Amino acid sequence: MSQVLARLDGIVRRFGRVTALDGADLEVRAGEVHAVLGENGAGKSTLLSILGGLQAADSGTLSLRGASVTLRSPRNAWAHGIGLVHQHFMLVPRLSVLENLALGGQAPSRGWRLPLREIADRATDLMARIGLSVALDAVIEDLSVGDRQRVEILKALLREPSILILDEPTAVLSPPEVEGLSALLRGLARDGRAIILVSHKLDEVLAVSDHVTVLREGRTVLSVPRSEVDASSLTRAMVGVALSPGTRPGGRPASDGEIVASFRAVHTAGPSGHTALAGVSLDLRRGEIVGVAGVEGNGQRELALVLAGRAEPSSGDVDLPHGTGFIPQDRTSEGLALDFDLSENVALAAHRDAEFRSSGLLKWDEIRARAEHLRTEFAVRATDTSVHARTLSGGNQQRLVIGRELPVAKDLLVAHNPTRGLDVAATDFVHRRILCTVGARPEGPAVVLISTDLDEVLALSDRLLVIVRGRLSEVPLGQRTREGVGALMLGSVP
Amino acid sequence: MTHLGPIRAAALALGLTLAVAAGFLGLGGFDPIAAGAAMMRGAFGSSNAILSITMVRSVPLILTGLAVALAFRAGIWNIGAEGQLYAGAVASVWVGLVCDALPWFLLLPLVLGSAALAGALWSAIPALMRVRLGIGEVITTILMNFVGIYLAAFMVVGPLQEARGVFNQTDQIAEAARLPLLMPGTRLHAGFLLALMLGAAMWAMFRWTHIGFEIRAVGVAPNAARIAGMIKGNRVVVITFLASGAIAGLAGGVEVAGVTFALYEGLSPGWGYTAIAVALLGGLHPIAVLGTGLLFGAIEAGAAEMQRTAGIPASWVTAVEALVILSVLAVDQLRRRSHA
Repeated sequence: MSQVLARLDGIVRRFGRVTALDGADLEVRAGEVHAVLGENGAGKSTLLSILGGLQAADSGTLSLRGASVTLRSPRNAWAHGIGLVHQHFMLVPRLSVLENLALGGQAPSRGWRLPLREIADRATDLMARIGLSVALDAVIEDLSVGDRQRVEILKALLREPSILILDEPTAVLSPPEVEGLSALLRGLARDGRAIILVSHKLDEVLAVSDHVTVLREGRTVLSVPRSEVDASSLTRAMVGVALSPGTRPGGRPASDGEIVASFRAVHTAGPSGHTALAGVSLDLRRGEIVGVAGVEGNGQRELALVLAGRAEPSSGDVDLPHGTGFIPQDRTSEGLALDFDLSENVALAAHRDAEFRSSGLLKWDEIRARAEHLRTEFAVRATDTSVHARTLSGGNQQRLVIGRELPVAKDLLVAHNPTRGLDVAATDFVHRRILCTVGARPEGPAVVLISTDLDEVLALSDRLLVIVRGRLSEVPLGQRTREGVGALMLGSVP
Repeated sequence: MTHLGPIRAAALALGLTLAVAAGFLGLGGFDPIAAGAAMMRGAFGSSNAILSITMVRSVPLILTGLAVALAFRAGIWNIGAEGQLYAGAVASVWVGLVCDALPWFLLLPLVLGSAALAGALWSAIPALMRVRLGIGEVITTILMNFVGIYLAAFMVVGPLQEARGVFNQTDQIAEAARLPLLMPGTRLHAGFLLALMLGAAMWAMFRWTHIGFEIRAVGVAPNAARIAGMIKGNRVVVITFLASGAIAGLAGGVEVAGVTFALYEGLSPGWGYTAIAVALLGGLHPIAVLGTGLLFGAIEAGAAEMQRTAGIPASWVTAVEALVILSVLAVDQLRRRSHA
């Protein structure tokens, strides 16, 4: 068996009264892609930030190549050959790729001169070795998300780490980009490095990893070679119980419900750098779930805002219903006011509703009652409705948003990446709720599910559309596979 | 860190303030005990000190404090209360002098109304620059302060200078344009009651009304408010900005109609700036702002006495005032952290 590069034993880490890690173990060997799985709050990020030198453990030991060490800082961890690629890119948008690489400070500087030449040579060399290609003179803000991630990885690799940690690297990538990343990671592992991959996407983990460690409630509950597990056994280990995912029976006849919303040749002017809508026509009928797949930044945001009546198109005709619920993609800044309590967040959506206001005053008693009802009905884990939204976990925040918007969505529900960043159980909850809402056709609302998670739209949609550079196209039934839709998402002709 | 309750926090703030102020005064070669005694005497030493000095001085501080709190709650960084106050003062004096033939029940509302209107107009320029051109209001409101201050300075040597033409001030406004006294024999005028009522009204607005909720939502989470369909065309921002300017302008009008009856250069010793501390220290809560406004009124009253009887120069007094604010802010921050 290959050499053990890093070993964490009985790691405990507490934040005040909360125990994030309660005796977690991790053993990483050279030459493997090691996936670390777990629900939100299971302790994945904490464990890896301890390995990355960002945090210290309260107790437990860390040894690197058999020698016990204490990491005091990220710099210290780098010196020990441990590199961390963050989930959120740490790149300067206005600088070139090469300049961003130089910011890492990997090359020895001589006096005042920035050794750009040397860094470029090393980067070119490294790219050739690992089969990765990025234009060094390109400016970061002109690059696609996938390219930016490659730059981030390149930046980390220039320091020659023996252990490379990637935190949720596929969250922002399209399927072909995910495959490219997987191939890259496998190649890096073959060279003798250890790659630690944090994720909660089971398929990707199963496709790329050699070894899987599962954390639950701060403990390591499973650590086995990839060959010994499958999706359902991993889900059981992560959640503690078996879940059957909520799906929509495919191939149903087209909905014949009443048309509740329609677009004709809708154009929008997006902010610079974003693709706006470029001539979208669309009819939405009661009781159907229309999935919109696409690579991030192809006009999804504008589509969601215009559909939800939150933005005006620059041209074209829109016919929208009154009872529209909207689940925006960023629950922390757009869905909720984090410094408001639960009732006030409910008021955010209800404040225009005649039911909750009379002559300029808000009926707080009724709003509080609605919030209380929603807290129990949607299992928002909070002691009462005067708790600030900031203190809720991501899953509970999303339950709050969904609980608030579903009752409003009498005609139309617009959901934009409704499960982003949620764990398996919370994702399942969201999917079930969306399915319940349309279940009662023909009276149910039309649902538009705009998501970059291909599995999600494939599982839930009656009709599937793909958005590319602000244009929608329908996915033929025969092409409703990951590969087929993935190809359409990149703009290739079916 | 041990838990810091509100009472222990207040005690700590008071202790720290006293220690810092005493140390600072000692450094300057003054007797801190005598200074402290003078301060207390000036602020609370007699019913006259409380009613005619502390409470009267707190009126413009409460009003501008409320103006700033209102704006800040909506995420509008209105640093321009000083200029808006001067705009209000100029307008009120001008109306009070020109329309002096009107009976009091017409003239007084007209004087105060013109002050509020002038303050609102003064804030309309930064408000429009923000929503139309995207120019940050911090800069524009600060710059408008200078325009307001020097406009007043020009008025008292120019168009509005007193008839005798000796001093750089205006003539006194008519009796009918003056605010009535709340208690005979004191200088406490009805402006104090007005300030209290305005604070209570603002509290009720934030708590119960639709517009109050929109203002809070826009301030706390502008994106969520926009997504919730709240601010079509920045309506809330403009309304709140103008209302904030109107209240600051009213502060100028109330000072003229209640205390000075005339306009002169340097009417305000910087109330519009102190208002920021008043508002922040009160946690932007209208009722708390009434309290912090009174506290700062007491500090000003005490400082004046300190200057008179303990012989401490005005600049030292100002520095001690600033140190008080810093200690209270520091303790407040400690309290927040101990909760987090």
